[in-house]
Amino acid sequence: MGDWAPPTAQPAVASAPVVPDSNAIVAVTNVTKSFGDVVAVSDVTFTVGPGVTALLGPNGAGKSTLFRVMCGLTAPTRGTVRVLGADARNDRAVRGRIGLAPQQDALFDRLSARRFVEVAAKTHGVVDADTAARGVLDLVDLDADDPKVVGAFSKGMRQRVKLAAALVHEPDLLILDEPLTGLDPLQRNRMIRLFHQLGDDGKCLLVSSHVLDEVARLGSRVLVIAQGRLAATGDYRDLRGLMDDRPHRIRVAADGARVLAAALVERDLVNGVSISTDSLMIDTNDVDRFGRHIALVAKQCGVRLREVEPTDDDLESVFRYLVERR
Amino acid sequence: MSGFVPPVRAVRLSYGIVLRQLVTRGRIAALVLVGAVVIAIAIAVGASDGGRIDPVERGVRLISDLGFTTLLPIVALVFASAALGDMREDGTLVYLWLRPMDRWPVVVGAWLASITLSLPLTIVPLVVSAVAVDGGSELISATVLAGAIGVIAYSALFVLLGLLLKNPIVWGLGYILIWEGIVAAFGSFAAKLAIRGYTRSILTSITDVNLDLGDLSLPVGVVVPLVIAAAALALAGARLRTIDVA
Repeated sequence: MGDWAPPTAQPAVASAPVVPDSNAIVAVTNVTKSFGDVVAVSDVTFTVGPGVTALLGPNGAGKSTLFRVMCGLTAPTRGTVRVLGADARNDRAVRGRIGLAPQQDALFDRLSARRFVEVAAKTHGVVDADTAARGVLDLVDLDADDPKVVGAFSKGMRQRVKLAAALVHEPDLLILDEPLTGLDPLQRNRMIRLFHQLGDDGKCLLVSSHVLDEVARLGSRVLVIAQGRLAATGDYRDLRGLMDDRPHRIRVAADGARVLAAALVERDLVNGVSISTDSLMIDTNDVDRFGRHIALVAKQCGVRLREVEPTDDDLESVFRYLVERR
Repeated sequence: MSGFVPPVRAVRLSYGIVLRQLVTRGRIAALVLVGAVVIAIAIAVGASDGGRIDPVERGVRLISDLGFTTLLPIVALVFASAALGDMREDGTLVYLWLRPMDRWPVVVGAWLASITLSLPLTIVPLVVSAVAVDGGSELISATVLAGAIGVIAYSALFVLLGLLLKNPIVWGLGYILIWEGIVAAFGSFAAKLAIRGYTRSILTSITDVNLDLGDLSLPVGVVVPLVIAAAALALAGARLRTIDVA
């Protein structure tokens, strides 16, 4: 993937030409996908090489649709997708080199985990399906001899069954749609380690998530998608910096709100402030500085702070900011 | 590590997966019950008419009017439309679609799975009904042949329907009741456009009973539904190639 591409004037990012990259495993060029009047993915362009790449976006942003287009499960309305140099929708061999763990919770519920993964192996032409199934089930920390059917599994276990089925034929490209959903912290850590290990082995992993902290641990390369558009691409640390630099809005509940507001303005800690009976709504571009000083200023003013709460620190507002900047 | 899955192996894999998905206790119980109702009607008909009407003719009419217009297409519809249609709806089709194998073996496997379930659930009650009306060995063999041909053709049509439309059961029932049940009864040309016209013809050819709209020869009665089945499967394969998979 190229360098960090800040979401500046639209469509600078979306229509940028594909970076010529001999290592590119996935090349998405000006892809748009519409369902009737609804545009799910709009003019998206990027390339992805070996290693772990995170696809970050809120629910409904178009991540799953983009994955479906990449896998050939649905044809793009406009644009082209090349996976390992071919179109997965029409190329049988390429389909055998993709491992997909879809987001939807659909499994053959009356099969045991081993049978389910064995079926995945056999339908991929794996010669020793039983051994392969046992191997990947062990990798995702599931008991291959558990006779329980997957229909009786917990959400986390079902997620791991899907992962095992996606891994069983040792694909070159792994597309994992929200694979960490439903996993407990221990399993989450283990899966993230596994993803990195596979990436280090030269596999290409595209992992989607709507949780920023997950993406931080998944890898440094991030594609941010919001409202069907590629809002940003690049290194996670740069994205984090961009998020921290944006204007923040913070609600401060305190006794003596007016006194505190005047003190904050006097010390140039805020860009703007609005006052209600017992709380302030603060706008600041430097949230770190504000955070370091608010308690001290309150103490100096003799004001008791009851609550300091960022009102726009959720991922949705980050995406909104990124999209609005474009 | 993965490789191309040869067509015969792909058919076997698809067959096994779809068969397992199709067999549900509720579905089987409901269709066994429908078959039992047909048998009960046959027993009642056999007992009430005594010797006034030729038992073979009585049997042919019963098998044709009740078995081939209701039981057989409905059972085939339930299994065949669900074979790939349910997998498409519930999102499991991806586990057969995103694979290094051709599309047509997937369709053929699904079709064979629905036939495997539909055949015993239709042929057994119809043969028991033929015996119940004292129709003799000719009626039994005609019922088996016409029933098998009907199941083969209807299953192929309804596998296609399951890939083409949402709510295939509703559309399929409409087809069975309106097209096969009403339109096909309008005349000999209309009868040729419905599977029912061919299954009736097989019955009449083997038993020598004269039935309206059942005047095609035995070879035509057998071959045309098989051609229809092949065409429907080819279309289903093409549809599977271009379908949007969840």
